[in-house]
Amino acid sequence: MEVLNPRVRFVWVVGAAVFALVVGGGAFVADRFVLGVGVWVAAVAAALALVLGVVHALLKYRIWRFEVRGDDLYLERGVVTRVNTVVPFVRVQHVDTQRGPVERAAGLASVVVYTAGSRGADVTIPGLTPDRADALQEQLRSLAIESEGEYDAV
Amino acid sequence: MKLHPLSVPYRAISRGLSLGTTLVFIGITLSGTGTIPRLALPALVAIAIFGVLATAAWQVAYYRRFEYKLSDEGLDIASGVISRRNREIPLRRIQNVDISRNVVQRALGLAALDLETAGGGETEASLRFVGYDEAKRLQREIQRRKRRVNGRAVAGDEAEEVEASAVERPPETEEQLFELSATELAILSVLSFDLRYFSLLAFGPVAFPFVPGITELAFVGGVMLAAMLAVALWAIGAVVTFGRYYGFRLSRVGDELRYERGLLQRYDGSIPLEKVQTLTIRENVLMRRFGYAALAVETAGYAPGQTPSGGSEAAVPLATRERVLELAQEVEPFDPPEFSRPPKRARRRYVARYSLALAGLSGVLFGAQAVFGWPDPWYLPLALVLLTPVAAHLSWANRGYDARDRHVVTRNGFWRRTTKVVAYDRVQTVIQAQSPFQRRRRLATVVVDTASSAGFAGREARAVDLDTEDAAALRELVGRRLQERLGERRSNLDAR
Repeated sequence: MEVLNPRVRFVWVVGAAVFALVVGGGAFVADRFVLGVGVWVAAVAAALALVLGVVHALLKYRIWRFEVRGDDLYLERGVVTRVNTVVPFVRVQHVDTQRGPVERAAGLASVVVYTAGSRGADVTIPGLTPDRADALQEQLRSLAIESEGEYDAV
Repeated sequence: MKLHPLSVPYRAISRGLSLGTTLVFIGITLSGTGTIPRLALPALVAIAIFGVLATAAWQVAYYRRFEYKLSDEGLDIASGVISRRNREIPLRRIQNVDISRNVVQRALGLAALDLETAGGGETEASLRFVGYDEAKRLQREIQRRKRRVNGRAVAGDEAEEVEASAVERPPETEEQLFELSATELAILSVLSFDLRYFSLLAFGPVAFPFVPGITELAFVGGVMLAAMLAVALWAIGAVVTFGRYYGFRLSRVGDELRYERGLLQRYDGSIPLEKVQTLTIRENVLMRRFGYAALAVETAGYAPGQTPSGGSEAAVPLATRERVLELAQEVEPFDPPEFSRPPKRARRRYVARYSLALAGLSGVLFGAQAVFGWPDPWYLPLALVLLTPVAAHLSWANRGYDARDRHVVTRNGFWRRTTKVVAYDRVQTVIQAQSPFQRRRRLATVVVDTASSAGFAGREARAVDLDTEDAAALRELVGRRLQERLGERRSNLDAR
């Protein structure tokens, strides 16, 4: 089983910080117009959200793993609800690599695998180095083509 | 080919009417507010005439610039008055061909034809409107050409010259699979009270005044009002269902299913058997009591909630249980399932879940009582806790899964028991999920996802609350079986 690059924690912590800011802002506005308790409410809310977000990010990193197996891609993830997904190569429609601004700053990339399924139709593998992401994309693509043959994807 | 000439006046009038109504409403809303200048009658008449002419001209242009052509490759459609669009739909991608006609269209001999493929959210091609005969011809022709192209692919290149005479088989005869009898239609209409209508009744209490002294009066009146509303909703549901499934027929033509239904608006359509994703058998409590069931044949064609039956037009709305199983076997021959139930400890989880829900409800009522002073005994829902073991047992008893040679079958639900049959070679992804509550009791849920469009609403095949190890085993088994089935299909193709 392959684990993600440790730097992905940074990406997720940044996400958690942004979320904490939004929560703090919301609490500030609520305090100003409805509650009227004091500004400390906003600070506490933001701090709480940040702590939860950071803990979540760290746990997420520890749980996330994936493996390119013989016939399928297998992923394990999820902090609260654990989700293990099997994506057979035959079902892969196309594969993308993505790099958001924070990921670029951390020197990371994500691979997104699309299937025609109704639920979980796209699976994202975050926290890969750009080289690994490109290699994985290439590998998945060739495996998908190889296993397709005569068979229709749907 | 062009659309039917009558489609011009039909479209012009229907569009004109809807546009006109909108304008009238806007006019009524804005009149007197000073936003628009007061217009004299001649000006209004002039605007109306201009509107009618513009609509008519647009529809004539639409008709003149709309062209379609069916070839061995697919259906080509060139359309658009100002911005042009050329679309080609490959034959082998076509999932469903649906024809619908409302009363006016039937009188004029028009029909709307919709083609669905698996991609995208909306209908891929829509011909508004062609003659009914032309629509039926297209439906037949698409099936015929598709088979011919497939036959050629199998026979190889050298057969191409003789293809026209050799592969082309005589037109298939139509074999009727099911016809909804008058009794069944009546039962279906009467039983079709949709529980979702109850949500409308939730607004009832809001309407009652909270004036002290007349509470009893309001209560009696409220109960009567609710009863009347319930009867009215039930009647509406019955009428809608009656109109929808009047004259329902399901038949099989070669490798396709055909359905027909509808009283005022007639629908008929075709579904290639090779595109069937999932079979769903539904039985609610009443149906189960009297030995009835419903069957839905799901494909990947529709966007979520696009069709009245939620992604499956070829649904047998009601038939005896044996008949439904027989039909399901006809569409997708599967072994009669023997369900294995979740481990008994799952029942304790349901007791906990229902008790928590009741506690939450009581909490909300307690809050309401603190703020509004109503309802008085807020702890009433807690009495239902006594019933949770029964509910938990019923939930548990109706759950189950069976993974056989060719299909995985799952079953869930007491009020509306749903059995899903998925062939392994239709599986898209397999998802094993475990919530914190499940983790405590070493349980997990396995979702077998297909490309069926009904799955968007979270109605994919789910084996709920298996032992963690069984869940992992099932997850791997489904993946393995998919590969085996595909391998088999490939070697079959090679052998031919």
